[in-house]
Order: sequence, then structure tokens, then C-alpha cells
Amino acid sequence: MGHEAARQPITDIRGSGASASAAQPPLLSVQGLSIRFDGAPKGVNVVDDVSFSVSKGKTLCIVGESGCGKSVTSLALMGLLPTPPARIVAGTAMFDGRDLLTLSERERADLRGDRMAMIFQEPMTSLNPAFTIGDQIAEGIVRHRKVSKAEAMERALDMLRKVRIPAPEKRLRAYPHEMSGGMRQRVMIAMALANDPQLLIADEPTTALDVTIQAQILTLIRRLQEETGTAMILITHDLGVVAEVADEVAVMYAGHVVETGPVEAIFEDPQHPYTIGLMGSVPSLGRRQGKLATIRGTVPPAELMPKGCRFTPRCPFSDDHCANDLPPLGEIRPGHQARCWYAPLEQKRGAAA
Amino acid sequence: MTLTAATDDIILESVDLKKHFGSGGLLSSPTVVRAVDGVSLGVRRGETFAVVGESGCGKSTLGRLLLRLIEPTGGDVRYEGQSILKLNKSELRKLRRELQIIFQDPYASLNPRMNVGDIIAEPIWLHKLAGGKEKRERVTDLMRTVGLLPTHADRYPHEFSGGQRQRIGIARALAGDPKLIIGDEPVSALDVSIQAQIINLLEDLKDRFGLTLVIVAHDLAVIRHMSDRVAVMYLGEIMEMSETDALFDNPLHPYTQALLAAIPVPSPSNRQPKALLHGDVPSPAAPPSGCRFHTRCPHARPVCKEQHPALEEAPDGRRVACHFWREIQGAGAGSISAPPPSPALAKRLALYQTWRERQDKAVTTSP
Repeated sequence: MGHEAARQPITDIRGSGASASAAQPPLLSVQGLSIRFDGAPKGVNVVDDVSFSVSKGKTLCIVGESGCGKSVTSLALMGLLPTPPARIVAGTAMFDGRDLLTLSERERADLRGDRMAMIFQEPMTSLNPAFTIGDQIAEGIVRHRKVSKAEAMERALDMLRKVRIPAPEKRLRAYPHEMSGGMRQRVMIAMALANDPQLLIADEPTTALDVTIQAQILTLIRRLQEETGTAMILITHDLGVVAEVADEVAVMYAGHVVETGPVEAIFEDPQHPYTIGLMGSVPSLGRRQGKLATIRGTVPPAELMPKGCRFTPRCPFSDDHCANDLPPLGEIRPGHQARCWYAPLEQKRGAAA
Repeated sequence: MTLTAATDDIILESVDLKKHFGSGGLLSSPTVVRAVDGVSLGVRRGETFAVVGESGCGKSTLGRLLLRLIEPTGGDVRYEGQSILKLNKSELRKLRRELQIIFQDPYASLNPRMNVGDIIAEPIWLHKLAGGKEKRERVTDLMRTVGLLPTHADRYPHEFSGGQRQRIGIARALAGDPKLIIGDEPVSALDVSIQAQIINLLEDLKDRFGLTLVIVAHDLAVIRHMSDRVAVMYLGEIMEMSETDALFDNPLHPYTQALLAAIPVPSPSNRQPKALLHGDVPSPAAPPSGCRFHTRCPHARPVCKEQHPALEEAPDGRRVACHFWREIQGAGAGSISAPPPSPALAKRLALYQTWRERQDKAVTTSP
């Protein structure tokens, strides 16, 4: 918390900085969040010095592969991280003037499902198979609002309409197993939005769905966001999804944010070798152009994590400097930052090629 | 494309292949799921043939039928011109050597109680290809071929990451010197960077050993990258079959068009509203009458509900099962144009590739 000044630039990741929203403080501002698992080697945090912010009506995408800490980060924000083994060792998360990380369990429970809500990847495991859809949506409404059960059911029906579920009256009395994966995900969204949250965290909301259903759900989420002005953090590994929905992007690798910026900057002017390698790894939808670029090897286990930049062992550009010293999240352009000693690469690594 | 060989050199063929699951229990009314319903296709020697479709379309069942891992309800499968349905046990065992499969979930398909060396050695032992020292050498070779360290032969599957486990599965598939490998979603459980490694590995192995690949997958980008020809399945039937580039540049069937339109395009500047398919895939236990796609098709007309369209010939050796494909073709829907990478990205990707090759060289030259 003492390093606030050093991290100041990141609070403004609103692109050019000229946009109107720059004046308005972000809804959620995470600064220097570090999370440690008990038993992990000394100095290796599963999430390390992560900062980002989201404004009203905007979408931040956190991209990364398994184990990069993206889900742990979101669970920490929701207060769903089990302690032990996980411990938040540093950082603040200011949500509407309050630090989420210092709230009592009771205060967090009051926020959860009310002003902030979450959607998970697997809708079947997040729904209770023993209760009807209507009961489950109404439960959250009754918990946070002074309404009768009947009023809550009425609201649940409204929500099912809002997420465009066909025959909502009938579906209200259906059980989760009677619905398809896409319909269940719509129910999850209805449940999350039932109390008009200001912030929605969606953890891989379309990964388990077929591509035509994924397109339906992404369109639905975008439309609802326009209607309600909810801010969203979308966690995904799919660069295509990022390009479709993000305003801002944070690329995570092994617990660090390695690059962050407006979505156009990330896709059109990527700076970090990991971001570039990731883009080269995705097969193009156009005509084939030779072999895919690959990123060598895999994420090292915690005990072998380098002291400096954690991408060092896999990075083609790395050297001893990278292995020993962690590069800062350096500014490329206002709002666009990369954690690499050699960015921009063509200037610092181009000559030798 | 590797079509220098005679294009009619068919290695594996299915003829009106059917698989229906289930029937009435003692107390329940009969429900029959028509997982695969009359599929005819021919896989050419040396090509990569892809089967694509959404969950429940029958693509995995088709993959298993082609290897006779499950028995079909009707139709025939021919390998090298001979039906594999009439083979006896010993003939089938020989066939198993030549036709191999790689599964989606590499962990579930490896025996957790066997070490990796034994897992890879099992087919060699089973088919009596080698013994003793020679067998061990072959295992070492195979592990090196797929990019595993031979010193890890005494480790167990749980000690490996997902990508490494998939490499183990590939090594095991290669152990019997197969002619054809079916990959059932071979990369869809893997992270993007690992997925690219496995795709490149499969392509290298295909060239090196002269394999024929059949890839069953749902990721259209992967399919476009890897395959020579594609069959699009929906509810147990083939909707369209074509050379890959032709299919992506000019999809004929409305389902193919919808499938392509639904892919998120990795370019934020090209965001545009999409023509979406409505609803879910109907249950394969009660497929719609006539054309099975008519309930979701934006171009459906009354005849689609009544008449089942045949998989008819279209120009350039393509096949399409739609009454109105000629008219729909002009609608301009579907064809997918991925924008070229921005100049900055292209430049950096090239730089990345240069350094990446150097990185590989440094590894091979240093001990």
C-alpha cells in the first residue's frame, strides 16, 4: 500500500486519456494485489502485484492460460477465496469508496449477489439440482431486498424474460437438469443480474458452450450491459472473445500482469513477448500461412519460478537480466503498459535479428 | 496441400453408416438416439480430413465407428477397400495397429498405475513388434519424437502437465506404426500456447511417417489450419463436405454459414453485429422432420419441413445437403474474412519467429 505513487499511472487505463470517463473515478480499482498460497516457496505469490481498474459500463478482459492467477484474482475480489490456504498479502481493491479486502465477512456477504455478482464457467455445477430455477433466482432477491417471496418470484420471471429464455413462466418451475447448457448459462446470468449489480465478474462464461450458443450468450451479455450500465470483468483464455467484448485488456502470465491497455492497442500493437506468442499460437481464420508460432515449454512450477520476469525460461528474447530482475510495468503510450525490459522489441531486439 | 497422390486413393471409407443408441427400457417408452444417421464419406490417403460440428452432432461417435470401437447399427466401414465389420478377433487386432486414436482428455485415457515407458511400450508388446532392449530403444525413440525426455519414462501420468500427457497419448498411438490416426478433439482441452505446440507436432509426425489424419473437432480455426477437407455434421448427418479453403471462403450450407458467422474474430476493429442462430440444437432423440436444420435455418421454407435433402453434388467435388443451396449461396452470408494482422503485429510476429528459431537451435546445440 505504500507504493501507491509508483503505480499511479495504471489507474488511468482509459486509452488516450482524452475520453470523458477519465474524469470519473473507476468503479473498481485494484492496486498491487498479491495473493499467496500457504506452502508455496518464499517470494512466489500466485498473484503478484496485480493492478487494474474498471469503470461503469465498461468491460475489462483478463486473459491468460491455466494457472496464471486470473480466477484466483476474481475469487479474491468476490471474497470467495478460502483462507487458508490462500492469503491476501498486499494490495487494495477500492469498490465505490470502500476497500473490499478489509471488509468483514458480513459486509462482503451483503455486497455479494447484490452490488457485485459473479458468473462461473460451468453452469450445471453452480446451480443447485434440487431446487427450481425460480426458487434459486428468488433466493438471492429475498436475501438482499425487503420483498415477499411472491414479489421475488415476479422479479425472477422478469429476469428470465430479460435474458430471453423462451416460455419463461414454464421455465420458472423447471429444474436445472431440464435445460440445455446455453439455457443454464442464461439462468446464471439472470441470477447474477437480479439485484442490478454495479459490477459483474464473469469467469469463462462461454468456454463450456458450443460456438453458436457462445455467440448468443456474448450478444446477450453485451446487450444487457448496454441496458444496465453494469461494469464487467470478463475472464477468458479466448482471444477471439476478448476482441469481441473488451474495452480494456489485462494479459496475465504466472501471476503477473504482463501487458495492459485498450483492446485495440493489445491486438494491433502488442508489446510483451507473451502476448505476441499467444497471438501467433492461435490459428488464423484466413488462409493458412505456414506453421503456427509457438511458445516453448510450459509454465514452470512454483519452486522453479525465476526471480525476475516469470516468462524468462519460455521467452525467445530473454537473457540473464530478465531472469534476475523483474521489469516494471513500463508505459508504451498513455494507458498501454508492458512488463518487459526489451519493449518495444523492434528497437531493442530488432538489430540483432 | 498433399493431393499429389491420386485423389481417389481412399484409405478409409464409410458407407451409409448408422449408429442408434438405446431403446425402450422395461418401464420407459422407447427412445432411440440417432447419433450417426447415414454417413458416407471417404478419407484419402495422406490427407487430413476433419469432421466438425457442435456437441451432440455425432462426430465423436463417427470417429469411434470408423475404428470399430463400437459396432454400427447399419452401413459399412471399409479400410483399404475391405469391410472391417466382418473381421475376426486376430484380424481386428492387426487392424488396431494400423488405425489409432488420440483422445481429448489425455488424463482419462492413460492408465494412472502404469509408468509412461510401460504405457508407450504396451502396443509394441501387444503386437509383438519388439522385445527386450529393442523395445526399450523404441520407447526412447518415440518419447524423443514427441518431445518428451526419455529420462521421464519411469514417471507416472499424474506427474505430467496436460500438454505432456497429450504427447504421451500421441507416442502410444505411434508405437504400433499406424497408417491412420483419428484425433478426437486432440487439442481442445489444452491451453492456447500448448495447443499450438501439439498442432505443429501432429503435422510434423504426419509428414515424417506418411500418416493419414482424421481430426474430429469443434474449433473451426484449428480445422482451417490443419485439414485438407472438411465434413460438417449436424444431428448425425453430414450437411456439407468440401475442400477446406473452399468451405471457408464460400460456405454453401446455411448451417456452415451460421457456424462460421458465430466464430469470434480476433480483431477488435472489426466488431459487427452478427446474424445469430436461434435456439439450441434439437435433441437427437427426436430430430426434426425433413431437413434436420430447418428449425434453426434462416432460409427454411415449407418444403424443408417435409422433404429430407440428399447430400448432392456441387461444383468442385463439393457436396451439400440443402434444397436451396444455389439460391442461398448468393446471399453472401457466412464467408469469413479474417482481417490481416496489423503492420505492428506482423512485424513483431516475424521478429518473434526469428528469435524463436534461434532459441530452438540454441537448445539443440547445447548439450
